[in-house]
Amino acid sequence: MSATPAIEVKSARRTFRTSGGLFGTAREVVAVDDVSLAVPAGSVLGIVGESGCGKSTLARLILGLLPTTAGEVLVDGQRLDGMDRRFRAELIQPVFQDPFASLNPRRRIGDIVALPLVAQGKFAGAEIGRKVAEMLERVGLASDMAGRLPAELSGGQRQRVAIARALILRPRIVVCDEPTSALDVSVQAQILNLLAELRREFNLTYLFISHNLAVVEHVATEVAVMYLGRIVEQAPTAELFHAPRHPYTRALLASVLTPEPGLGVPDVGLGDILPDPANIPPGCRFHPRCPVAIERCGSVAPPLLAAAHSRVECHLAVAGAA
Amino acid sequence: MTDIAVVSVTTAGPRRGWRSLGTWLGAAVVGITLFAAIFGPWLAPHDPFTQDLTRRLLPPFWMDGTDPAHPFGTDQLGRDYLSRLIYGARISMLIGIAVTITSGVIGIVLGVIGGFAGGKVDDAVLFAITCRLSIPVVLVALAVVGLLGSSLTLLVLTLGLLLWDRFAVVARSTTMQVRNLDFVAAAWCAGCSRGYILAREVLPNIASHLAVVATLEIALAILLEAALSFLGLGVPPPLPSWGLMIAEAKEYMFFSPWVIMIPGVALFVLVFGINLLGDGLRDLLGTGERS
Amino acid sequence: MSEALLDIAGLRVTFAGGTAAVRGTAIAVNRGETHCLVGESGCGKSVSALAVMNLLARGASRSADRLRFAGEDLLSLSDTGMARLRGNRMAMIFQEPMTSLNPAYTVGSQMTEVHRRHKGSSRQVATDRAAEMLARVGITAPGMRLGQFPHQLSGGLRQRVMIAMALMCDPELLIADEPTTALDVTVQAQILRLLAGLQRDLGLAVLLITHDLGIVARVADRVSVMYAGEVVESARTNDLFARPQHPYTRGLLDCVPVPGKIRPGEPLGSIPGVVPRVRAGFQGCGFRDRCAFAMPECAAEVPRHAAGEAHDYLCRLAADWSGLRGAA
Repeated sequence: MSATPAIEVKSARRTFRTSGGLFGTAREVVAVDDVSLAVPAGSVLGIVGESGCGKSTLARLILGLLPTTAGEVLVDGQRLDGMDRRFRAELIQPVFQDPFASLNPRRRIGDIVALPLVAQGKFAGAEIGRKVAEMLERVGLASDMAGRLPAELSGGQRQRVAIARALILRPRIVVCDEPTSALDVSVQAQILNLLAELRREFNLTYLFISHNLAVVEHVATEVAVMYLGRIVEQAPTAELFHAPRHPYTRALLASVLTPEPGLGVPDVGLGDILPDPANIPPGCRFHPRCPVAIERCGSVAPPLLAAAHSRVECHLAVAGAA
Repeated sequence: MTDIAVVSVTTAGPRRGWRSLGTWLGAAVVGITLFAAIFGPWLAPHDPFTQDLTRRLLPPFWMDGTDPAHPFGTDQLGRDYLSRLIYGARISMLIGIAVTITSGVIGIVLGVIGGFAGGKVDDAVLFAITCRLSIPVVLVALAVVGLLGSSLTLLVLTLGLLLWDRFAVVARSTTMQVRNLDFVAAAWCAGCSRGYILAREVLPNIASHLAVVATLEIALAILLEAALSFLGLGVPPPLPSWGLMIAEAKEYMFFSPWVIMIPGVALFVLVFGINLLGDGLRDLLGTGERS
Repeated sequence: MSEALLDIAGLRVTFAGGTAAVRGTAIAVNRGETHCLVGESGCGKSVSALAVMNLLARGASRSADRLRFAGEDLLSLSDTGMARLRGNRMAMIFQEPMTSLNPAYTVGSQMTEVHRRHKGSSRQVATDRAAEMLARVGITAPGMRLGQFPHQLSGGLRQRVMIAMALMCDPELLIADEPTTALDVTVQAQILRLLAGLQRDLGLAVLLITHDLGIVARVADRVSVMYAGEVVESARTNDLFARPQHPYTRGLLDCVPVPGKIRPGEPLGSIPGVVPRVRAGFQGCGFRDRCAFAMPECAAEVPRHAAGEAHDYLCRLAADWSGLRGAA
């Protein structure tokens, strides 16, 4: 493991302004709130959380698609802000969720995969063609696919194209934003296996975002749990899944429905109040839904408890540790 | 999801037959007019400017007392009406297309930049669109031509500088939709420049919407030219514009109604055809997006 | 065994384009049980449900050998007769509640409308019933919610409202088409728990359509696995997970990452290829192109084997055939 983390996020914050319509007042939504994390080279950091928790915004900050409102993002030890776009493309690449939206419907598969090479502007046509054919074959697509349009492909094939495009420059880091959520179960397994093989082969670092905990447990070496823009708990995968410390992590784990008959649907113990990023509660932001909240949780923000490889933000974890 | 998609496609089934008939009709009208416009000099039986005062106001072929040499008769100066109609198609199509290209370039550039950049730039574009919508087109065109005199170039420029609003509105809204799709984000991450993304990723995906706007704008420009020419402020005579033909014919319409009927019907059929074609294109778009 | 509440046999749906979406499906839903219809996108599970409700779009044609609900023949029922059943004795909820709730009306007016139409009740009676049902599905302050518009509710609340609305007229059968797919995992668990509780308390029969084997395992009494428009295997839930027979069912079960079954980092089982679009007139097993055990005879008519009580599957292989699990 090299000393420089592949991805380092320092106190990143991102807010959005939403207009309240003609008569409403504009509100500020905090999508990512003071997030810090480091992904060691060669590892897989899984990020889990429910819709609106800011995990996709965090992915866009790390990809440089959105600027941070405060804080900074370093990729391979270098600041993303102001980095040359070609240089950035050689370092970090994305795989998005919806394979129907992530491929330009008007371009042929070969051109889509070749795009990062073309953008570099230093490769000859013949070399590009050879690399594209190689990469298509590597992700399990026949080379005659290059001449087809995205509409002729199935969801799984499209996702393979997106992976080929992401890897054609041999980047070190790939940000996978829900890469299998839009796919059928049988195809999801194919794509997950492919991603795992490619990681070993090209020595990649993944930031793997998903709402599916079983998938994250399968692929990630470390997991961060996000709730309303903050990382509330982070730990090595086995530790997080076997000894979760934050009540929200416990609720998430409890709500995973494994295909084991006879167990019934678990009671996750959460209230009906759903998180609203535009209206973050004071104190611990999870306390309105927390089944074990104490009085302090409603007024005092919980401190960060950090150890070597794990951290948690919860008043009760303090009590537990004491 | 997939099931639903299949269902919606099948519901569109019965209507498409009728629609595509209209589209084909429109395409045929536009195609014939374009053909006449391009090959006018070879198609026209006579010179459209040659006067023959001895053969004035000859009736067309379906009436009595016609001359087989002039199937659509002659006008008040004895000029062959069919030849003038064919040359008129040239003027109409030329103006329609030239105006649409001018306004298209202005509107698409403004709209795409506004939609892609967002923020302050977009506010400025929106303001420009609002300003433009507050200008009465016909009035300004009349004033300009009245002040500077009528010429084909001036007419094209005036209309072109006034009719870009619809292009801008459509280009802006479609660009905003496409900009947020993941393939644009992927192109950013691939290291593409802003210009490349606009030209190669965004424009091809809004082009079909713009094509629909273009058909409507061509029709509008042709109608405006006819209106201005009718008022004597469009194409200068003796150029055979359809609007001018109608204007020149209005004094004879009671005794020789065909002189006003023929260019009037031609104008109606062409604009109707262009609009049918536009409708067809829009339908193709609606079902062609996302399988 | 008494007659099933919903008894479907030989159901076929063909679209105008020639796609055979459903090819001879047989499903029987007994009173008071939860029957899961599981399969991947395009397998015909949603279309089957829509065909039962006679809600297919124009251009789709439906036929069946038998389609009976509570002893009544749905095939010979008129449109008005069907409308009298729908929302009354058989109700349906969909994946995205926002598209099935009318944004222009309050929750209350939409809920009472159903009851007043089917039961002929007064506004007051219907409103009381609506408030009672909202409370029943775990919504606090039902009086306030009745006056709200759908867009003022969160996704989880909207799905609860949909369930409450479906239950307004005390239906015997509830068809739920991917009711929790659009929801977050924690909310999904809450909604499924609610559905299971209601089903038990009200003696409802539920036909639950899902792609998620986790949901199937936790809530179903019986499971029918659909593939390419056919039910390829049908069994009691425990039986299906313990002794899957059809190669597709076995393959599907291997695809799901289960803690403890497959260690992190190990490859998951997967089924090669993609779900086919089957045209009318297709013969033989729909899975044969992706099946590791396919033989030439799979292109001919495939037999339906029994693998124990109330467990059958559509494959040439004999019951409890052995083949390396995951070899596909």
